Amino acid sequence: MLREGIMRSVRTLVAAMLSLLAALGPALAAEKQGGILRLYHRDSPGSASIHEGATYSMNVPFMPVFNNLVIYNQTIAQNSMDDIVPDLADSWAWSSDNKTLTFKLHQGVIWHDGKPFTSADVKCTFDMLMGKSPQKFRQNPRKSWYDQVNEVTTNGDFEASFHLKRPQPALLALLASGYTPVYPCHVSPADMRTHPIGTGPFKFVEFKANESIKLVRNENYFKKGLPHLDGIEFTITPNRSTAILGFVSGQFDMTFPTEVSIPLLKDVKSQAPNAVCVVEPNNVSTNIIINSSSPPFDNLDIRRALALSLDRKAFISIMFEGQGDIGGTMEPAPQGLWAMPKEMLEAIPGYGPDVNANRDEARKLMQKAGYGPDKHLAVKVSTRNIPVYRDPAVILIDQIKSIYIDAELDVVDTAQWFPKVARKDYALGLNLTGNAVDDPDQSFYENYSCGSERNYTNYCNKDIEKLFDQQSIETDVAKRKKLVWEIDQKLQDDVARPIIFHARTGTCWQPYVKGVTVMVNSSYNGYRYEDVWLDK
Amino acid sequence: MFAYIVRRLVLMLVTLFGISVIIFVLLRIVPGNIVDILFAAAGYVDPADKAHLEHDLGLDQSIVMQYLHWIGGLARGDLGYSYVSEKPALDEILPRIPITARLAGLALMFSASIGIPLGVISAVHQGTRLDYALRVVSLSGLSLPSFWLGLLILMASVSLFGTMPIFNPHPKTWSEAIAIYCVPAMAVGFRSAALTMRITRSSMLEILRQDYIRTARAKGASEASINYRHALKNAILPVITVIGIEAAFLIGGLIVTETVFNIPGIARYLVEALRWRDYPIVQNLVMLIAVVVVFTNFTVDMLYAAIDPRIRYTD
Amino acid sequence: MAVVNYDSELRRAGAQATHGWRRLVFLAQRHLLGTIGLCIMLLFVCTAIFANLICRFDPLSIDSAHRLAAPGMLHWMGTDSFGRDVWSRIVHGARISLAVGIGSTALGSSIGVMIGLASGYLSGWVDLVFQRVTDILQALPLLVLALVMTAALGPSLPNVMLAIAIPLIPTVARVIRANTLALRELPFIEAAKSIGMSETRIALRHVLPNTIAPLIVLATAQLGSTILTEASLSFLGLGIPEPYPSWGRMLSESAVEYVRTAPWLVIFPGIAISLAVFGTNLFGDALRDILDPRQRG
Repeated sequence: MLREGIMRSVRTLVAAMLSLLAALGPALAAEKQGGILRLYHRDSPGSASIHEGATYSMNVPFMPVFNNLVIYNQTIAQNSMDDIVPDLADSWAWSSDNKTLTFKLHQGVIWHDGKPFTSADVKCTFDMLMGKSPQKFRQNPRKSWYDQVNEVTTNGDFEASFHLKRPQPALLALLASGYTPVYPCHVSPADMRTHPIGTGPFKFVEFKANESIKLVRNENYFKKGLPHLDGIEFTITPNRSTAILGFVSGQFDMTFPTEVSIPLLKDVKSQAPNAVCVVEPNNVSTNIIINSSSPPFDNLDIRRALALSLDRKAFISIMFEGQGDIGGTMEPAPQGLWAMPKEMLEAIPGYGPDVNANRDEARKLMQKAGYGPDKHLAVKVSTRNIPVYRDPAVILIDQIKSIYIDAELDVVDTAQWFPKVARKDYALGLNLTGNAVDDPDQSFYENYSCGSERNYTNYCNKDIEKLFDQQSIETDVAKRKKLVWEIDQKLQDDVARPIIFHARTGTCWQPYVKGVTVMVNSSYNGYRYEDVWLDK
Repeated sequence: MFAYIVRRLVLMLVTLFGISVIIFVLLRIVPGNIVDILFAAAGYVDPADKAHLEHDLGLDQSIVMQYLHWIGGLARGDLGYSYVSEKPALDEILPRIPITARLAGLALMFSASIGIPLGVISAVHQGTRLDYALRVVSLSGLSLPSFWLGLLILMASVSLFGTMPIFNPHPKTWSEAIAIYCVPAMAVGFRSAALTMRITRSSMLEILRQDYIRTARAKGASEASINYRHALKNAILPVITVIGIEAAFLIGGLIVTETVFNIPGIARYLVEALRWRDYPIVQNLVMLIAVVVVFTNFTVDMLYAAIDPRIRYTD
Repeated sequence: MAVVNYDSELRRAGAQATHGWRRLVFLAQRHLLGTIGLCIMLLFVCTAIFANLICRFDPLSIDSAHRLAAPGMLHWMGTDSFGRDVWSRIVHGARISLAVGIGSTALGSSIGVMIGLASGYLSGWVDLVFQRVTDILQALPLLVLALVMTAALGPSLPNVMLAIAIPLIPTVARVIRANTLALRELPFIEAAKSIGMSETRIALRHVLPNTIAPLIVLATAQLGSTILTEASLSFLGLGIPEPYPSWGRMLSESAVEYVRTAPWLVIFPGIAISLAVFGTNLFGDALRDILDPRQRG
């Protein structure tokens, strides 16, 4: 008995030591210092101010300039509440009523211009995001993230508290996104657009529109020993052939993250067999926005028929050579944390595996609405003039032919897309929705709640709205998940914004680039690059 | 002669004024402005924020006021601010000019050094197989879409040498400097060489039919002397005008080539600025291009008039 | 310049017969390259006209089971990433390219003719104004103007045609004006005037027909460049939008992703564009030789 006990403890000890070694292994293989990481950038971002944009074209080059209060662990691919780690805040705590979140801030942090970082900067940043400060952002796309925040207060120079109207555990997830850097009080929003000042591992050097973005190592970074790189350089290369040829020929160490399409990936692998490539979902769903406020899609039967006509597998096979995922609003498992179980998903109309049966049912619904083989419904499918939008629209048009809908493609210029959608000047639209964090609060409130600025379809269902709040307050994750599944199922049943598929994309880097982690459930949070190093 | 120059100068100003009006109006009938694009990048539209931003950028003023503001600024050497980068338009445009100028210069050199000799050869050997072959080659050159030619060159370079000429503002070695400018210049120059060759050939042929060439031939001058001493000297005149025509042709080629080779010159900048509806940049760039084209034509005409006494100084 | 009399031109060139079939044979022999060009052009025109008869597939119909099929018996030129038949798309693309080519050339030329004719015939302030307008249009490179126009109007088939047509106006107007000025001095116009014909009638009945030859020469020469301009606009993202199968877009978009993995997506549209432009250029050269002996080269 005793021997067995000793043996067991020895075994446990050995196992523990082994796992410790395994964990330390990569760390022990001493990261080399120095070198410039060269990437291409897919387009020229409008400005350098992350808070004023809603595209990861800004996050990728400028996230390394900043710090958040807290951040998703940059070395773990799946963002989850359990992997949120300190950044500018050393620690945080919820009050007993779950309505106050207090951060203890790191001391001795200085901005890139030499001024000290204090709690005042935290207050400034979030006051501005909530629209409460005299200084205004030119645009403030994520104002609604802070709808539940009453105010932000400071206690001394190194403590800041968020006071909430009601408990919202997900607030921490929003604060951990790459979209939520802390800005300095003493720099105006206009200056932040052209010359951002942060506390982050890299300092901004220059941003030449359509040409390049250069960052250099911050010698005074408060995390000792970081970053490993001397700098990061982005060459803005909108032409994809040129960009990929540049990577293949070794002019770039890394592609723009999550921007290599599946067909291009094959090309890269054949020409640069040593390149390391990963293909991951990035929590961007391709969906149909339906104008349900005017005929013909004010008729629920026609909306249902549309949902039933979709052959999602065909979309995925054409767009991603099979490497895409089918799901509801939330990103599918296993990468996504909140996806419905498979049985539940397949029970939703249109998600069943038998496409022909679905389409038979759809045709019946169409006939009920007065259409048929002799009387087709003519509509326009509007979308932006960008291949990732246009290609699925072309497939959609082909598919809904099977249910007596003759659709015509209406390609809309980027400048006119949002005004057109806001005017409700469309019948069907093909849209892409990127989710900043894999959390239901972000995707439900942003895309489906009454009055949200990014709820393009103006979908508004008071019953579901109540469920949104219910899941948001819920602190028990298991219970919250159940609620989220129920909501997601209802949204699909209502054909609020039919989700066609969730995309997967590739990222490639040269074999000597180490420490890159591509996030699998968001494409906005993983670009701090303080852990990246070059093994040259 | 003096009156002629003055007259041409005045006409030049009238033309430039007309261009400024046309480009200005054209840009403003475009549905959607920079503010729409900025909101598209932010993923939402808020009418109040939008109106505020339009006011800040002066887009809520009447077209006439906006125009006067621009022209007034131009007269003072103030090109306004880029809506996107919020930097002075001059600071954005100036550094890009030498890049495009170098490229255009090299392309012109390339096109002249290939096009003129081949054009002469083709004309001298008119009707022979050589002439046919050269004509077919030059026509094929003009039949290839220029972006396609550029991409082919890049792909060939990657598969042959394992590298490609990607633009770098501070090339480390001479060979790199040559590669990053010459390869794209050749891609542009190939097409204009074809054009130059065709024009040289036809003007050469016309000269060869002239009476004084017949006289020279009758006097027993050697073929070589006829072709190169008498004919080419006179055929050069129309070739000079080609440069005027090519200035415009070249810019079209540069737009595409700078995009393919990712060269941050003014031609690609124009495309990007148009995409962003960055009016101050677009209108100033178009004016710059127009000035270059108009001025080149003017210079060519003056040169022509100075060299060729047969030109009458009337329009 | 004189009124072109190509019968006498033909005789001077050594043609034995100046009528009918034998004249054609003579011309074809004499202008071998031009004849080849004409054949290529006719080939494309027939393709465009009989597109529906030639193809076995709907150029827009998607087939996810047969995507990226290599050229074979079923799909002669393979299929694209959507499983659409490339042959059908090239054939239907001929319609689009010719529509753009011919449409914009015709539009640009007819406006150019009107301006040129009015300018040359009426002279005075009309001439002055039109001259300045053509100056302005000529100072902007074709692609720059077309770019700004399509950006302004938005990409659609008619808009792209318009955007490419407008830059063509000044060249046509210039040539027509020069011709009109020369014609006005000729005796038969004087004669028409002296018998009391109205100015408009003279312009339309006598001046216009005599400018047709140089116009045709010019228009043919520009046909090729309009097709290329559409391809360049497509490459810059401003060409003919989906779902029209445009050669320019087929080439520029598949060049990015499929040049290595499915080269047939790149080769065939590339050949189609180059061949069509090459054909019009060859034919244009020959036409210039025949119709405009002064510029013969």
